[in-house]
Amino acid sequence: MKRRVAPVVITAYFLLFALFVLLMGYFWNENQKTPVQPINFSHQIHVSKVGLQCTFCHTTVEKSRFAGIPSVQKCMSCHKSVKTESPEIQKLTKYWNEKKPVPWRRVYSFTIQNYVYFTHKRHIKAGLECSNCHGEVKVMPHIERVRKLEMGWCISCHRAKNAPTDCWTCHK
Amino acid sequence: MDRRNFLKLLGISSGTALISSCGVDKANEKIIPYVIPPEEDIFVGNPAYFTTTCTECPANCGMQVTANEKVYHDVRNIFPTKLEGIAGHPVNDGALCMRGQASLFRLYHPDRIKRPMMRDGDGNFRVTTWKEAYAKIIVELAAATGEGKRNMYFSGRTTGTMSGLTDDFCKEMSVERLPEFEVFSHANLKKANDIVFNRPEIPHYRIENADFLLTVGADVVETFMNPVASANHIQKAKDKNNLSWYHIEPAVSLTGVQASKRFAIKLHSEVYLLAFLLQSLSQQNSLKKSLPARISRLIPDYSITVIAERTGLSEENLRLLLSRFANAKTPLIIAGGVSTAQENGLETAVFAALLQWATGMTDNTVDFDHAENYGSVGSMLDVRKLEDSLKNKQVGVLFISRTDPVTYLPEAEQFVELMKNTRLRVALSDFMTSTVQECDIVLPLSHSLEAWGDAAPRKGIRNVIQPAIEPQYDTRSEGDILLQIMAQKSGAASAQFYNDYLIDKWHSLYGEGETVGMLERGYREEPVPSLPAILSGDGTEAFLKNAGFVVESSDKPVLVITPSIRAYDGRSKVLPLMSEIPDPLTTITYGEWISVSDKTAKKMGWKDRDEVAVELNGVSLKFPVKVQHLLPENIYMVQRDLIYPQATPVDSRSGEESWYVKDISVNATGNHIPMPIMSGSMHEDNRGLLPPEEEEHPYEHKEEHPVGRMYAPHEHDNYRWGMAIDMDSCIGCSACVAACYVENNLAITGKKAHLNGREMSWIRLEPWVKDDETINYDLMLCQQCDDAPCEPVCPVYATYHSKEGLNTQVYNRCVGTRYCSNNCPYKVRRFNWFDFRLPEPWDKMYNPEVSVRTRGIMEKCTFCIQRIRHAKDKAKDENRLVQDGEITTACAQTCPTNAITFGNLMDKNSRVSKLAHSNRAYRALEELGTEPAVHYLPKKESKEEA
Repeated sequence: MKRRVAPVVITAYFLLFALFVLLMGYFWNENQKTPVQPINFSHQIHVSKVGLQCTFCHTTVEKSRFAGIPSVQKCMSCHKSVKTESPEIQKLTKYWNEKKPVPWRRVYSFTIQNYVYFTHKRHIKAGLECSNCHGEVKVMPHIERVRKLEMGWCISCHRAKNAPTDCWTCHK
Repeated sequence: MDRRNFLKLLGISSGTALISSCGVDKANEKIIPYVIPPEEDIFVGNPAYFTTTCTECPANCGMQVTANEKVYHDVRNIFPTKLEGIAGHPVNDGALCMRGQASLFRLYHPDRIKRPMMRDGDGNFRVTTWKEAYAKIIVELAAATGEGKRNMYFSGRTTGTMSGLTDDFCKEMSVERLPEFEVFSHANLKKANDIVFNRPEIPHYRIENADFLLTVGADVVETFMNPVASANHIQKAKDKNNLSWYHIEPAVSLTGVQASKRFAIKLHSEVYLLAFLLQSLSQQNSLKKSLPARISRLIPDYSITVIAERTGLSEENLRLLLSRFANAKTPLIIAGGVSTAQENGLETAVFAALLQWATGMTDNTVDFDHAENYGSVGSMLDVRKLEDSLKNKQVGVLFISRTDPVTYLPEAEQFVELMKNTRLRVALSDFMTSTVQECDIVLPLSHSLEAWGDAAPRKGIRNVIQPAIEPQYDTRSEGDILLQIMAQKSGAASAQFYNDYLIDKWHSLYGEGETVGMLERGYREEPVPSLPAILSGDGTEAFLKNAGFVVESSDKPVLVITPSIRAYDGRSKVLPLMSEIPDPLTTITYGEWISVSDKTAKKMGWKDRDEVAVELNGVSLKFPVKVQHLLPENIYMVQRDLIYPQATPVDSRSGEESWYVKDISVNATGNHIPMPIMSGSMHEDNRGLLPPEEEEHPYEHKEEHPVGRMYAPHEHDNYRWGMAIDMDSCIGCSACVAACYVENNLAITGKKAHLNGREMSWIRLEPWVKDDETINYDLMLCQQCDDAPCEPVCPVYATYHSKEGLNTQVYNRCVGTRYCSNNCPYKVRRFNWFDFRLPEPWDKMYNPEVSVRTRGIMEKCTFCIQRIRHAKDKAKDENRLVQDGEITTACAQTCPTNAITFGNLMDKNSRVSKLAHSNRAYRALEELGTEPAVHYLPKKESKEEA
């Protein structure tokens, strides 16, 4: 009998461990998809309710590699008077008063080393919509990552649209 | 290992892998916004540009700073990441030397003094406030004056508005301003011009107007006056006037090697050569202005045979020099460096000045109107005077600003003792130098990239210094410090800012509109009154009557202490990049060495890295040997920054210190010192890196045995990027190497890695000795071969050929097999053996456009793919192709002689296409059939001397 118990225990132990790793991975991934932001900022309110254009805040999307993230000053240009009673806006005011940047969490990023050259400008100029990659941001109260930014996904689109597929187009 | 331990280890390692893999994923990193965005539209890919002035050496080149937006320690800010010359600048016209470019390493140096300090009762430094430091200075100044002592201000070379402010400060605070201290004071040159023309100045040499240039000891492309400008102007003169450039020197220098012809001259005999030229030209009636008889009869007149014997130059060569001089329309002679810093140095300089006058150079190529601003620089005589005042306890408060006499003076210990005879010593410095260690109050200076200012390198030019970054520490500019001390003394609530002071000065000098233009351009050229150089007969006669012409008869070994192209007088040694880039003549990177003549080495049986003990001035110093071809026997060379200052004779007439240590003895110790010599061999052995000899032309060879191709030739659409390198223009200054390091975030690997041959430079200069007579260079970088040997051997397809003819390297695909490097015949691929990331805060200088590579990755020259990408992006916006000249690689951009041309080989009209198809062009190791995209143009053999 004794000799039979041991393999079962060992197998169970490893299965449990594997399950634990899988669960960890799942939560880790979920956590990354919608990271907890320092201020509970809602794209839904700003886009759908207030009616702001994406480029109102992400000003350099048409001229730079990066879409750009608004400065604290820019947030405060409205929130000096808008919704000042909200505890979330009070958090923002605190950052502004301390002249500290808001430590937002990045939602979209290339994994492993940053050996990738990606330019928003070229994609916008090629006629892509923001939502093609970032999903329907206007309905997201918490910004959520809808694509994993893996090379296969990039390439499939590049092939379909006859865009360059040379390695040094994107890799650096 | 038993099974149990194996499983344990397996468990630990997989667990560690799991944990570390979580850390690798950067998806949850922070994304930091600005609190307040900058006024200008600055974002990644659209950096800010500032025009300012380089302060790494006294040449004061115009400098354009590229400042990139970056997040550093959770703050978004803009950081200077690249320094380049300002195109069209009257001093350096777009180029910048390697020291200038490495100045970023000074800006972000971790050892900078970060806050003001004061010595406490125990003699230790403690942090203090500026106010407290100023108060102490003011009290001590008053007390010293009360005691009847003199206060003194001792600084490095100061020009422009700062010079006037220093005068104001000294007047206001009753401080005496001393002549400035520079190791390269050029005292003999100044004195000679004082004697011959009554003008104690160093003229601006207009090399660009010359058709014959004779440099006597002056290392014009290394450290003498303005090396970048000289190199640039030599190239202009070559293009415009078909310049031939001869160099005469008793030792060997990069400048000599690069000249069209180099003559080795016997020690201290330059004066005889110049006297011979003067007398012979006068006898041939080839002089444009004849020397007064009372002067010419005092000039030694010997027969050509005697001169040949004294100088060691053959009669044939003497005649050649003479005819070149006689036939030149606009000749130029520049004496300096090793030839004027010696016993006969003043005489040499005087004869050079007489030649300049008599051959009419002072009317075109020797420009006294735009003289270099060396007027306030003193000599060793002024240092002696200061030492006397210190000895007699006459000095109250001693300010020492931007200079380091304790490091540069031979009698350092004595100077330190003398400094103690003062009431208070105040240092203004950016580093804790040996001098600063001996001071009581330390006032940290901002880097010139953090401060406002101006500079006047020569008459008629005013360069602007403007900040590109806020001061990173509690440091201030010298101007602000002086203004604040004055304000605190007068009891004013606050001092004027130095930038306001400057702008007031500029407004009053040039008017408001002109000031704006000056700030945008970075410089202003001012008209200067023209004053012809007039020969002072009396002065010259009086000097020549008493002149002594030492004949060096001793054949004992002599040590020459030479300037260093990498460290200048030693000040740039703190920049790690300057140790990482090889010395162009020896290819040594880290550590010290003594250059020994190949003939001496052969005789003594010494080889590279053998240790020798050098007995000099009663001490014994040990150095590893580097065999130096072209160096005359019995002459040894050590660069100034590699040896502590040696007591050498000082000329009592001018105060110039000799660079020669006589009567040394050199003996092998039997030890062997590991030394990083980057070049494996000094002999090319007709391998095909240099153009082959006429007899065996590779093209003929190729026709006999056509190189077979295993694959179809590559197809290119619009672009095939290529490069042409003109080795006739290249002067070996290594500015391109520095540019590549900074632009492409190359790793600084350090001495240990270099000893294992693990340097990371993507571009290197290779010196090749030919027949023990000449040294030719090639500039080796990735040849971007069409049939690249590295590509087919990569098992993971990390390197492959792009449509644009680039031999690409995909970093995150590379697994580090190093097969590609093994198969590369040019040996230009570099492997990251470790993570060589720059430590903080140096990592602020990383170019955000280029990845910082990590361990286990192969890398190499990319032809600055980030610049190509940027230009293509811009062209696409405008719906056109990239134009010729729109892209320059970093190396080509900074080249002072425009030796490197980059462009599109598919465009038949591009500059690079024309050069690549010129008759002179060849490709390195062409017979291998690699079809490189880099085309070389060999050094021209000067026909006239044949």
